[in-house]
Amino acid sequence: MTRSRHSVRPHASAMGPWSRFCYFAAKAWANLLNNRLVTAITVFTITLALLIISLFLLFYVNIEGTVDQWSRKVVVTVYFEGELTPQEVTSLKGKVSSLQGTDSVQYIGKEEALKRFRSRLKGQESLLEGVAPDTLPASMEISLKKQFRSSEAIASYVAALRKVQGIGEIQYGEEWVRKFLSFYQFLRLLGLLIGGFLLLTVMFIVSNTIKLTILARKEELEILSLVGATPFFIKAPFLIEGMIQGACGALFAIILLVSGYYAFLSNAVNFLSFNPADSGMIFLPPVYIAALLFGGVTLGLIGSLASLKKFVIN
Amino acid sequence: MIELHNVTVSYQKDAPALSGVNLKIPKGDFVFLTGPSGAGKSTLLRLVYAAVKPSHGHVVVDGQNVTRMTRHQIPFLRRNIGVVFQDFKLLQTRSVFDNVAVTLEVLGWEKKDIGKKVYHVLKQLGIEHKMEASPQRLSGGEQQRVALARALVNDPKILLADEPTGNLDDHNKDQILKIFKEANIRGTTVIIASHDKRVVHYSHNRIVHLEKGRIKENRDDSFQA
Repeated sequence: MTRSRHSVRPHASAMGPWSRFCYFAAKAWANLLNNRLVTAITVFTITLALLIISLFLLFYVNIEGTVDQWSRKVVVTVYFEGELTPQEVTSLKGKVSSLQGTDSVQYIGKEEALKRFRSRLKGQESLLEGVAPDTLPASMEISLKKQFRSSEAIASYVAALRKVQGIGEIQYGEEWVRKFLSFYQFLRLLGLLIGGFLLLTVMFIVSNTIKLTILARKEELEILSLVGATPFFIKAPFLIEGMIQGACGALFAIILLVSGYYAFLSNAVNFLSFNPADSGMIFLPPVYIAALLFGGVTLGLIGSLASLKKFVIN
Repeated sequence: MIELHNVTVSYQKDAPALSGVNLKIPKGDFVFLTGPSGAGKSTLLRLVYAAVKPSHGHVVVDGQNVTRMTRHQIPFLRRNIGVVFQDFKLLQTRSVFDNVAVTLEVLGWEKKDIGKKVYHVLKQLGIEHKMEASPQRLSGGEQQRVALARALVNDPKILLADEPTGNLDDHNKDQILKIFKEANIRGTTVIIASHDKRVVHYSHNRIVHLEKGRIKENRDDSFQA
């Protein structure tokens, strides 16, 4: 019996997962090079989109840092009628420090209080005439841990503080704290809203750019499907392409951001009345940079996946 | 090899593309599907490679009921079917070699085996000297030969062609039909959809004539040849 011609075809090689990945990666790289212009446009779009996001993050991180600095001014002050002895200060400091929420405690004696008052009134020293060290009360300034800086937490902290023996009159600028904290919450909400809106816009733009690039290669998808490629075989190189484009876009965005940031720092003194480097301006923390890179890769992957879903059908 | 049992395909409600079609094409047959535009020729071919599913009836290809296939099974059916179109459907940014090699890459062939096999099939079709060229630099006849090479490179059991000579001059038509004939001699079942009379009368083969989605004539002239 003669064997059918179709049964003597060479067997397909049994590709392992690694060699399959290498094959798809090589295919993706070749596709990127073959479609240089389209690749460049996509990478440029992702770069621009992520640069907008990263600029927003940089702005937000610095604003939040500044507001956090301000929130350190939320201090609970305890006033005493007379000066405390060093033993009394040590004992009271120990008791206050043991309260939940206490960050640091500082005793301000009458002399120190006058010194501070004097430095605040620099240039108007005449106002201090007749003010003796005894006029100003001794006090203890208690700064709170970050999570204890809400209105409710401060109120319950003050209630606990009142129970400590030897504590005098307590003041913490209730009204200021309330206003400041609601401003802080509003700022965070605004940041979240703008950030969310920016993210959605960026996702929309990037996925549409990728969709256009895939649409331009619709015929390739059709041919692959025609010759018996599985959906995975068709999609894999496109997904890798999307991830490479996303990573490149993120990398370029970070490079532009870093160069822009340092160019701003070194030139800001020429057009600003203050030096931003001295004002505590910070760059994005490493975790944000990692998130941007990861975001770029994910953006490329999701954009490709969403677009392919529309075009890869049997 | 290919069986259509009472097959109806409806793209729109009132005008079915195919209506109650019954057809059997045995292994190794050479069939011309004829009929005017809109008769359902392309739809019938699309049924065979599972690009459309029938609204009613069953399609059996190589012993497998295509109607019941899942989308994950369809690629494996297509690996035994070569398809050629009037507009060639070649990747213009790739070389002739790459266009043909894609069929074997999908099957997971080794690189060195792909090189040998692609060269062999291009040589058979007389275009091995154009291996590195881009399809857009080839004539219509040469482009169709590349498309045929892509369809034939994995020795498919079935070769389908939708108006394969529609864009070619008479000389190229004869050349292309010769290639179909040779593939058929080697054992491939060939179905060509065409309304070109010159092509249909090229040789005495089975002719299935369609009109308005129905088979009007199912004639086998091969015995009279």
